[in-house]
Amino acid sequence: MFGSRGVFAMKTMELHLTVNGQSLNWSIAPGELLLDVLRRQGYFGVKRGCEKGECGACAVLVDGKPINSCLMFAAQAEGRHVLTIEGVAIDGKLDPVQEAFLDHGAVQCGFCTPGMVISAKALLDRRPDPTEDEVREALAGHLCRCTGYLKPVEAVLAAASKRKNRARRVKPLTEVSR
Amino acid sequence: MFDKVEAFYRPANVREALRLLQSGKGQARVVAGGTDVVVDGDDSVRFLIDITHAGLSYIRRRGTASVIGATTTMAELEASPQIQSLAGGLLCKAAHSCGSMPIRNLATLGGNMANGSPAADMATPLLVLDAAVVMADAKGRRRLPLAEYLGNARSNRYARSLVVEIVIPDPPRGKGCRWSFQKLGRTAVDISLVNVSAGLHLDSRGRVKWVRIALGSVAPAPMRAPGAEQRMTGRILDQALLAEIGAEVAREVSPISDARASAEYRREICSVLTRRALEECSAPAGCSL
Ligand SMILES: Cc1cc2nc3c(=O)[nH]c(=O)nc-3n(C[C@H](O)[C@H](O)[C@H](O)COP(=O)(O)OP(=O)(O)OC[C@H]3O[C@@H](n4cnc5c(N)ncnc54)[C@H](O)[C@@H]3O)c2cc1C
Ligand code: FES
Ligand code: FES
Repeated sequence: MFGSRGVFAMKTMELHLTVNGQSLNWSIAPGELLLDVLRRQGYFGVKRGCEKGECGACAVLVDGKPINSCLMFAAQAEGRHVLTIEGVAIDGKLDPVQEAFLDHGAVQCGFCTPGMVISAKALLDRRPDPTEDEVREALAGHLCRCTGYLKPVEAVLAAASKRKNRARRVKPLTEVSR
Repeated sequence: MFDKVEAFYRPANVREALRLLQSGKGQARVVAGGTDVVVDGDDSVRFLIDITHAGLSYIRRRGTASVIGATTTMAELEASPQIQSLAGGLLCKAAHSCGSMPIRNLATLGGNMANGSPAADMATPLLVLDAAVVMADAKGRRRLPLAEYLGNARSNRYARSLVVEIVIPDPPRGKGCRWSFQKLGRTAVDISLVNVSAGLHLDSRGRVKWVRIALGSVAPAPMRAPGAEQRMTGRILDQALLAEIGAEVAREVSPISDARASAEYRREICSVLTRRALEECSAPAGCSL
């Protein structure tokens, strides 16, 4: 989309935003979508699927909330914090949601996985102990053409209980220290 | 898409937004959540005006009314205690049905109205609640009934105006007041094939004191069903009346056939969902919203 009809005709503007904790300054066209800009900048984990808000493959977190980057103008991300799948693992250590997706065979071709993981992470950050309904609800905007939905739902529930157990294990310590 | 866009504006207030809209000479497009603007993909747009910084994201009480700013998102509506306690959570239930979580984090109430779709899911609950729309243009602000606004939302009558807020006068409340939102879509996160909202106030003897029925996706704009409402008033809501009202709404609507459903099917579904809505409103345990 960018420059295919001659870059000279295209006005540009500055975009300041934070992606995966890194403060950035990009030059964009005013009508560009966040999905296109992120992919041009090398965030290929943000997948281009339907480009109509239907499939969830392009989901990223903006200020902690999942949105479809194919429906957001890049300029709307000015000053905001974007998290893509590339920023979910910390120092090479996978997030419990990512681990659970692998352990539960919730990944086949992997095309839908970044979006599902992003939405699942947002859910667990907001509700550490979700019901199965809440998990299904959070994944409802994500289409998978390979694995189906059972495995991803199992994976998210497993990730939740793993995070909970981890929290429980450290709990006595924090209680003592208070 | 949007290759011709020359500038993206983020006005900090309504006045600035209106000035930009005026100077865009018909080639400017207002963007709130963008979920309809982007899918429309109108190639002729040269200026985009993002109104989400214009101070229109709020949910307030004003006198005896609830007031919702135009750029309030569906997710914010669902999470608001004030909206949860209004009319048994009717608006929360409708907002919750508007697409997936990533859509509801973007989609706004004002955008849902201004887009003027006959299927807009927030329209029927707001019609049932006798809501009004506050508009702003170069001449100032004015308030009009939602039905009047929706009837013209797709014309260019409001092309140089902004939807500022939606005003919802306090609805009847108390033991006999019930509410229902019914939607049939292709999937749980799809737009409506048909949606129906109802509000019902029964007196102590079980007679209909006040009723509102509104239907979406079955006419050029979301509509009330005045004939059905009139037939119900003062009567006991029994199976015979439910059947009569189901048939009456099917006469009042004027659905079309499209990729999602045929007109005949939509008409049938109007009866079914209206009966379901009224049954939910009159169930002894109350509305399960
Ligand atoms: C995958 C998907 C699923 C969807 N599911 C549903 C659904 O289940 N139910 C449903 O009702 N809708 C659904 N929608 C449609 C859409 O999300 C809603 O209509 C939404 O509320 C639009 O709000 P927005 O803020 O994104 O509008 P935008 O796209 O920003 O704007 C919509 C239109 O209104 C104009 N506009 C916006 N705000 C104002 C204002 N304050 N004053 C004047 N003009 C304004 C814009 O110029 C544009 O013409 C869906 C959309 C997608 C992509
Ligand atoms: S590519 Fe954005 S939702 Fe499908
Ligand atoms: S794993 Fe292939 S689309 Fe989901």
